[in-house]
Amino acid sequence: MKRLMLAIAPLLLALAALDARAQLTIEITQGMDNPTAIAVVPFAWQGSGTAPEDVAWVVDSDLARSGQFAPVARSDMLGRPSTQKDIFYRDWRAIESEYLLIGRASAEGAQMRIEYELYDVNRQKMVHSGVETGPANEARMLAHRVSDAVYEKLTGITGAFATRLLYVSVTRVPGGKDYYRLTLADSDGARPIVLLESREPVLAPGWSPDGSQISYVSFETGRPAIYRQNLATGTREQLTNFKGLNGAPAWSPDGNTMAMVLSKDGSPDIYLMNLSTKKLTRVTRHYAIDTEPTWMPDGRSLLFTSDRGGRPQIYRYDLRTGTTERVTFEGGYNARARVAQDGRNVVMVHQQSGRFHIAILDLVTNRLQVLTSTELDESPSIAPNGSMVLYATKRGDRGILAAVSVDGGVKFRLPSREGDVREPAWSPYMGR
Amino acid sequence: MASGLVLLTGPFCFMAQGQDYVDVEAERAARAGSSAPAAVTPQSSPGPASDPYGVQPTRSYPATSYGLNRAPAAPATTSAPAPATSGGQNVGTLFLQMQQLQQEVMRLNGMVEEQANELRKLKAQSLERYVDLDKRISGMGPGSAASVASGDNTPSVATAPAQPMASGQGASLPGESDAYRSAYSLVRGQQFGQAVDAFTQFLRNFPDGKYAPNAHYWLGELYLVIDPPDLEASRQSFSLLLSQYPDNAKAPDAMYKLGKVQYLKGNREKSREYLERVVRDYGNTNSSAVKLSRDFLEENF
Repeated sequence: MKRLMLAIAPLLLALAALDARAQLTIEITQGMDNPTAIAVVPFAWQGSGTAPEDVAWVVDSDLARSGQFAPVARSDMLGRPSTQKDIFYRDWRAIESEYLLIGRASAEGAQMRIEYELYDVNRQKMVHSGVETGPANEARMLAHRVSDAVYEKLTGITGAFATRLLYVSVTRVPGGKDYYRLTLADSDGARPIVLLESREPVLAPGWSPDGSQISYVSFETGRPAIYRQNLATGTREQLTNFKGLNGAPAWSPDGNTMAMVLSKDGSPDIYLMNLSTKKLTRVTRHYAIDTEPTWMPDGRSLLFTSDRGGRPQIYRYDLRTGTTERVTFEGGYNARARVAQDGRNVVMVHQQSGRFHIAILDLVTNRLQVLTSTELDESPSIAPNGSMVLYATKRGDRGILAAVSVDGGVKFRLPSREGDVREPAWSPYMGR
Repeated sequence: MASGLVLLTGPFCFMAQGQDYVDVEAERAARAGSSAPAAVTPQSSPGPASDPYGVQPTRSYPATSYGLNRAPAAPATTSAPAPATSGGQNVGTLFLQMQQLQQEVMRLNGMVEEQANELRKLKAQSLERYVDLDKRISGMGPGSAASVASGDNTPSVATAPAQPMASGQGASLPGESDAYRSAYSLVRGQQFGQAVDAFTQFLRNFPDGKYAPNAHYWLGELYLVIDPPDLEASRQSFSLLLSQYPDNAKAPDAMYKLGKVQYLKGNREKSREYLERVVRDYGNTNSSAVKLSRDFLEENF
């Protein structure tokens, strides 16, 4: 434990501000052919002093990042209405904006309130209105919720902007031991908070299904162990301390069980741990390497990577029948599967002509599509609404995070300003 | 994590591991019978460059050991009957041999999995081909020209009820069969406008006739090919067929057609509803409408 430099969220909240340099910035690299034009007018501030956050700008960036929207530049706006009576539709038709979002933000004590309305410019009609309230220091989260509502109204798909990311960043120390930081950030990479800093590797972060807890592997005791940590209280619990590997924890959809990889009985195999009794059940029993378990959303089967067929491929283990079947057949290397909430799309690392890409497999049609053109892509993590895949890749000699839509049409990067970033884990919907 | 990284460090890890295995085994053998802990973990040192849980894709022996060059295996077979004095060495070779066998089994296992998958795919394909062929052969009766006549290139029309179908148990009414045939001959003669009149007249004369559902179906098709098409009349015909004869063999086809008509009318949501209903309600039958609906959904939604 002496090597553990800092731990546990509450202690670190104060440090969050200091860590702004590790913030991720977003560069959109590929968008849709016909994004919907929308004008997000700066929201009127009705509180005292200056607004704690430019809510409209957060919404603007969220929508732009989805690739499905082309927000109008503020400099092109011919007016800045914040209420319906101030809207002149011809101003917005003139700049060919199809939709118009206006709103007002106010604060009462520590509580913030955002009211907004969405208008269809061509039909000159309000199509949606809403109110978000919450603590003023969560202003960005409130703004993301506005984005979610607008996105859902216009695309029919639940938004996933008001979600969070976990990732590991590594700062190299030439000639010394590296720093590993387990970081929690908003879905746009803003507001990073370091949850754990260690000079020993931190790996495989993951979420509990309700988003209240996280799990990860830390080598802070000199060997790998699986931990879980409550985000609100910072309470941490070491779940395993077995000889050999303790890795790849994956929470079951009901939150009661954790799948993990242990090698205490020989070669790495998949085990299930009952999180209340800590009782272990062995799932796979094979001299090959069985690893990287992940749950199907119905909780009835697990996908995992195994080289029992000579090369790493994805297999599915049915927990009720105890049968194992191979899932991937295309290509000589398919590993680290993650399943979308629809239980149909599976993202994975797929090797093609010697390069590692992120691919998506449709379990119904068995069609596999390679999504990325970068090399050395790894650790795909799928958004809770199934629309985007976040993954780690290399740019130059730096590890960065990048995202791609599940149809491959939209791509953006979230490069860190410092260090290598890896192993992103997209949270489930928060507080729903 | 680092799958790419693993590939780079993989061979190194393997070599280190292989060494570990041999060392541990040799040591164990040297201790001759002492109950040493048997667990051998292929864990590599927990450094940042190693992957503590990732798959090591190159954990195999060099490919040559599988092929004709059996050099690594050869010494094992010759040294197997060696005197017991070199027991430690024997155990070591046995261990290596076992590892080789494991690799071999894994490789074969992979081949079996892949071939089973190929077989599954081939079976599905040949079934599809058979169904397609069967459909075309059964369409070679009087209905063969129908697919051309209706101006619709979907195979569902080929099975359209030119030949009387056993939809009702009762025999056809006097004159019904002839009236149906003459109306149908107009379809074959591509006289679509007159065919519409003939089928309408037919339904007026034999509203509960044995061929009434067929007539409704044909009217639905015909309203789509007349110039200009009458989408609403077509919709009504198909809807009538569905509501009055829900158990008719053409019900799935009519539902599929309703999906198409709604699509042509610009009602994407309704269209989708019908098409999805076909897939849901008739998915376990071998109706061609199911596949057509699936294809249409995939292409247009």
